[in-house]
Amino acid sequence: MVLVKGIMMIPWLLLVSLFGKSTQDGNGQESGVLHCGAQNLKLTGSDQMILLTWEDTPSCSAVQDVLIYELEVLIADKKEHYDEVAVAPDQIGSTHSWNWTSYLALECASHSVRLRSRYKNHTSQWKQETRPGHETSKAQVYPKDKLFQVGSTATFCCVLPAGEVFGKMSLPEYSSADMNTTRISNQTYALTVHLNQASKYSCTDVKCELIPDVVYGACAYIGYPPNVMDLQCETRDLQSVDCYWTDKDSSLPSKNITEYHLLGSPKICAKWPETRCSQEVRVDARVRNWTLTASNPLGEVKLSDTADLTERVHMFPPEGVTVLSVNARNVSLDWKWTVQQYYNLSLICQVNIINHGENTISEHFGVGLNFAVLNDLIPNWTYNVGIRCRTAQHFWKWSSWSTNVNFHTKGDVPDALDVWMQVMDNQIITIWKMPLANQSHGHIEDYEVTWTKTTQRERQNRTKVAPNNYSLVLSLDTTVGHIVTVTARNINGSSSPSTITIPSSNPDGTKVNTSSIIGSNGSFNLSWSASPTASCGYIVDWCPTLGNCTVEWLKVPPNQTNASIFSKNFKDGLRYTLSVYACTRGAPVLLQRREGYVREKKIQDSLFKSVKGQQQDWDYEVSWEPISLREQTAFIQGYVLYCLDNNNNKVINFSTDNPEATSLTARNLKNGSYIFTVKARTAVGECGATSITATLNLLTDNLIGTVFIFLAAVFGLLSLITIVCYRHWTCIKETVYPPIPKPVLTSTGEHGCRHFQVDQCHYSEADITDVPELYCRAGAPINGFVSQENMPFVFSQTPKGYYNQPLKKFTPPPLTLPSTAIPSQPGLPSSPFRREFPNASYNLIMQPGNQQSNFCPELQEATSLERSSDGYQPHDHTETFTTNQTEEDPDSPMSCVSTYILLPQSSSR
Amino acid sequence: MAARRTRGMTGSDLSRATVARATAIAELLRYECSILLELYRKKESFTADVTVTESRLVSVPPPSSQLETRDKLWCLHSALLQCRSFLERAIAKEEEQLGGGKKGDYETQRKMVKERLTILLINTGELLKTAGGVMVLTPSSEGLELDGPTILFELKLWIYRIFEEVDYWTKTAITTLQALPSVIAKERARTTRVRSMRSARR
Repeated sequence: MVLVKGIMMIPWLLLVSLFGKSTQDGNGQESGVLHCGAQNLKLTGSDQMILLTWEDTPSCSAVQDVLIYELEVLIADKKEHYDEVAVAPDQIGSTHSWNWTSYLALECASHSVRLRSRYKNHTSQWKQETRPGHETSKAQVYPKDKLFQVGSTATFCCVLPAGEVFGKMSLPEYSSADMNTTRISNQTYALTVHLNQASKYSCTDVKCELIPDVVYGACAYIGYPPNVMDLQCETRDLQSVDCYWTDKDSSLPSKNITEYHLLGSPKICAKWPETRCSQEVRVDARVRNWTLTASNPLGEVKLSDTADLTERVHMFPPEGVTVLSVNARNVSLDWKWTVQQYYNLSLICQVNIINHGENTISEHFGVGLNFAVLNDLIPNWTYNVGIRCRTAQHFWKWSSWSTNVNFHTKGDVPDALDVWMQVMDNQIITIWKMPLANQSHGHIEDYEVTWTKTTQRERQNRTKVAPNNYSLVLSLDTTVGHIVTVTARNINGSSSPSTITIPSSNPDGTKVNTSSIIGSNGSFNLSWSASPTASCGYIVDWCPTLGNCTVEWLKVPPNQTNASIFSKNFKDGLRYTLSVYACTRGAPVLLQRREGYVREKKIQDSLFKSVKGQQQDWDYEVSWEPISLREQTAFIQGYVLYCLDNNNNKVINFSTDNPEATSLTARNLKNGSYIFTVKARTAVGECGATSITATLNLLTDNLIGTVFIFLAAVFGLLSLITIVCYRHWTCIKETVYPPIPKPVLTSTGEHGCRHFQVDQCHYSEADITDVPELYCRAGAPINGFVSQENMPFVFSQTPKGYYNQPLKKFTPPPLTLPSTAIPSQPGLPSSPFRREFPNASYNLIMQPGNQQSNFCPELQEATSLERSSDGYQPHDHTETFTTNQTEEDPDSPMSCVSTYILLPQSSSR
Repeated sequence: MAARRTRGMTGSDLSRATVARATAIAELLRYECSILLELYRKKESFTADVTVTESRLVSVPPPSSQLETRDKLWCLHSALLQCRSFLERAIAKEEEQLGGGKKGDYETQRKMVKERLTILLINTGELLKTAGGVMVLTPSSEGLELDGPTILFELKLWIYRIFEEVDYWTKTAITTLQALPSVIAKERARTTRVRSMRSARR
């Protein structure tokens, strides 16, 4: 009965249930509110990420389609993010989760998530879950000690306890342009910064400064994810792979340093800063990918290298290199391989032969090569060798060099000497270069020189030269050619002979012109024309042009016609002569000769010797001795003469391009003092200055010369006149002083004979104290008054005019006036000196008694006039012999002008 | 000569020489500390007036004029011992947490300060021994909060505090040591006076 009732109730229950469901659906959508929603919301999170989990309410089980959940994130009650989560029908009933990363650390502010479901335009009620921010008693900065990638943007917050005053947030070494501070809530501030700099020291501080000055902060690691490049993998032992790469510093702390894994192995292969690791593998001839994984908290990078390792064998260096046998010029070496597989590889090995700093490399081939023979070594020589190898087939890399080994080769006879000659006067100097250590092959004991005439080869002369001498002077007949041979001897024997033919000195031989050359960079670059006679090359020799010459030489192969000549003996400013010879089967043939300086130097001052000056009118020639070659430290190209006028400091220069010149003339100079400086013109400038000083005074000299000439002419003329006068004195005397007629004495007695005189001099009447006794003789002419010096009259010009030369003493000789009448000479012109006295036949004899009583014309001292007139005497007085012709009476025996006749006067007067 | 001079020294002379030497070392340490602080401030971009709000790390009563010489020296020596412990820990923590493996001027100066502090400790130890004190560190190393903070920025501030602590106690050492010779002289005079009084009583 009960069972039946139960069976009958089932359909009713189903109907009720269906009704109920349809009613429920109808309720949920009636008001737009969905009954299906979330329950058991749980909000968790760490750092900056929040995680929300929830479940569907049981009513959701009826949902047949996709159910949408809408989520809103609020930070400090401010909506920050919206998201939707779609739940498929088959997921309804399960637990759902959703996460989101906030731009802020969760400690900075409260993070709330609101959630509601939406189904067919019907939404459920919001449900919210909140995670509060961190509350603290002291200010804090978040996030703390977090890693950031360079280039990212981060937000830090500063949470202040109540009552604290915010100052500022900052990162050191970041500009304000990269940072932006915002206020999130009353006590929370955020600093958003673009992190463009990796942390320099450990981590970067993010500081929050309060007011007053209290600093809080957090540290942030700002670094890089791995940046692996240039991965290369190889094998060294053919049993493992070795990979190496490059990476840059991530700037992360050691606990977050980049780790490297090879071939996906979980085992750490290396940690930065290591950038190579090795892993055992089976090395076979196939191409494989060799993958490296680099990771740090900021990222992971995978890098692959594709290679067949059998083609990338990087060998280990040879071990145990041993010198097996040592000879004079060869040696054999062997070594071992630490990797047995190398003995099966075709190898190339290089032997680096270090010879006194010079490296030579020889290559050797072979399968499993482990020995080498070195040839062409220098006897008695120390070598240092190292070996490296690689596979011959596929070149990948050379091994590193093995440990070097030393050996010393055995001795041998010396090498042939380098011989040259020098012919000086009647001497032949055979000279050879000292054998270097790598040429002597042992201690040189002596040299042997043999010589013979080219014409008499059978007669050989021989001598030995000490080991420290490198030349031999032979006094031979240089007009004949000679053949000289030199050998060196050491403990192992004699070198092969070196022969040189000395040419005969032929005065008629062809000469070559010498041209100049200038060196460059301390050497001479010499070139010449090829000579067909130069069968064995050329020889260039050189030595200083002047002084003792120790010749140096260089041998040049036949195919070369130029040479750079360098010697440690070269000196700047020293002239060298360089000669190029053709090396022939016989004697060397001179081809070219050059003279020059390796480097010209300025010639020192005072170059010019015996500098002299010569004035030529308005020109001045400066001359000097020819300049010797010894003093020329540069080629002289000419000379310059500088004239420095002392008065106005004006410089005039005169130059010549003739290097042989020994004088220069300064032209058109003026009076004055000059400094003449002569300099030599060279390629390195004007130099060798030498100066002289000279004064030019042309006008005075000419005047003096003219005056002298004039005076000489006057003197000559006067002398001529005097001679003529002397020779014709009688004539002149008779002409000028015709016989004076005897005066007619009209009375006798005391004053019977008047003394008269033609006054030629002037004196004071007071000086005349005595009346001279007068003897008159007719016809005797009055002899002219002649001074003791026989100078009748001397005129001289004074600044004040003309006056007579005072006659110091005058002692009149006894006058004898001969009575011979002077015939008149009518033909002569009328002249006061040729006055005719018709009755002049008397003798006037003056006989002095007492000297004191001598009558004038003596002027005892003749000073009266000088004193009285200060030397001045009127011009008229000089006309001593002028007579007044108008008063002359030809009939009177004599007419005297009283002016000129001085009568004796009483001394009492 | 030097040996003879040493033999001729009295206990007080030795103290005086040790005091002078310790003072000189302390002055040198003071100078080196100032450079270290400067380098650290530069490295961490700290301003000179950055305020460390925490209390002192070294827990020793500051030397007072009221204390006996021996007690003063004990306080000083104890404080310097704590400073060295802190400094050693700071260096270790810095290397561990912040070290980048780079060795520069700062690291060199830090090492120099540590070594100079050790030398100063030897000298103050000698003085303390001369003064009859006992070289016991109070509080013991175990009692010191040597772990330091785990937050990096706070670790940096902690290191800075330790450097400042070393600087402070170095200054204190100079002041204390400079005051010691007169104290020694007074004490010697007092001791002599007491002895003479005792002799007189006898």
